[in-house]
Amino acid sequence: MSENLTVTLTVNGRKITRTAGAHLTLLRWLREVAGVTDPKYGCGEGICGSCTVLVDEVQVSSCLVLAAQVDGATVTTAAGLAEPDGTLNPLQRAFHEHHAAQCGFCTPGMLMAAAAMLADGRTRTRAEIRQGLHGNLCRCTGYGPIVDAIEATQLGAGQHSAGQHGAGGHGTGQLGARQQGAGW
Amino acid sequence: MFTRAFRFERAEGLADACELLREYGEAAKVIAGGQSLLPLINLGLVQPEVVIDISRVSAGTDLSAFGGYLTVGALVTHAKLASSALADEAQPLLGAAARQIGNARVRNRGTLGGSLAHSDPAAELPLVMMALGATYEVTNGRVTRTVKAEDFHLSILTTALEPDELVVSVQAPVLGPGWGWSFQEFSRRDGDFAIAASAALVRVADGLIVESRVAVGGVSARPVRLADVETSLTGATPAEIGDRLGPIQGLRPVTDAAASAGYRTHLCGVLVARALAEASKRSAEAA
Repeated sequence: MSENLTVTLTVNGRKITRTAGAHLTLLRWLREVAGVTDPKYGCGEGICGSCTVLVDEVQVSSCLVLAAQVDGATVTTAAGLAEPDGTLNPLQRAFHEHHAAQCGFCTPGMLMAAAAMLADGRTRTRAEIRQGLHGNLCRCTGYGPIVDAIEATQLGAGQHSAGQHGAGGHGTGQLGARQQGAGW
Repeated sequence: MFTRAFRFERAEGLADACELLREYGEAAKVIAGGQSLLPLINLGLVQPEVVIDISRVSAGTDLSAFGGYLTVGALVTHAKLASSALADEAQPLLGAAARQIGNARVRNRGTLGGSLAHSDPAAELPLVMMALGATYEVTNGRVTRTVKAEDFHLSILTTALEPDELVVSVQAPVLGPGWGWSFQEFSRRDGDFAIAASAALVRVADGLIVESRVAVGGVSARPVRLADVETSLTGATPAEIGDRLGPIQGLRPVTDAAASAGYRTHLCGVLVARALAEASKRSAEAA
């Protein structure tokens, strides 16, 4: 008993209406119907986090939501963090600068979990950042550079308002601390 | 990921969903947050022909405290329960358990009613409901009835819900004066299902345990309230908890990839002792 359903979503600022199988998860709808391929299918159980997107500003596993359930919603994926001209946002830039990606499979989900975490503007400790990432698995980097990138991003955000230390210097300090065993 | 196609029906209300359940029978599954159903569908373990969506039903998304009970709607998400000041004030066990569930994404979508109706033996919320002696309001859209938690959770993924019934809300007693509480869970990784977990409520007066309620999860086909343990503690000082606790009876732990049955039994004893100790401490502080 199959059925097609018309769903409209605003994905990364673009309004997309498509008629597709009613059984499609948001992840499959994005990837296979709308051609938005940055969220990845990992586990299908909500454990790995590689399909993380924001639905109306709330992070969800897009493999564990049906597209039909969120018809009309606004969806942000990792690609949507960048400026329309492709300029990376501070979080994406920090991931780049801190080498926070190796194979890159987890990266879109890591970025969205980080974006959801940082949305409240609160400055977190490294332990809190790790806690906030516990639903996102990375099999390559050992997490350290990812935590570095998120830490540097929130410092950079503070810098704009407080005008204090340079983000680059802080990042170097964190790398040094990690080598001494203070991080991972 | 290669899900068999199904029909999608959006219910306008719970009564509408019950009507659809009667219409489609066993071919249909109800989805709210989808954090239990969609993993099963993605893994091919469940292949419904119809999925009935209640995630947009507006009733059942609130919490209220009245007459000694905290009422939580079935569609309240774990995230909402975990961050509810009202829940933390009225019955702190609920928020403590909700904060242990899965990860932020699971908590953002997963609902109280979904967790209870799914009835995973290692799930947090059925366990605390059993410890609290909570009652569930369930409906088939025509008749509404109440079911005690202990009568609701029958076995692994099996409840007392009739095929056309849904959970509407939960009534949990508020934390009484002088009571302390504790929720203890052990899993291999943060956010995993519990290998074992324990929820406890204790009232200490004049240095002695007067009343207690304790339950364990993850060690049987359903959460188990430990009435023998409760009885054995009456009149003890908190320092004597360890001595009063014998081997815990009535458990039927399984051996799986996470832990052996023997380890689960051992862990259960450790967590019960910790939960009772912490609840006693909180009770003494509250007095």
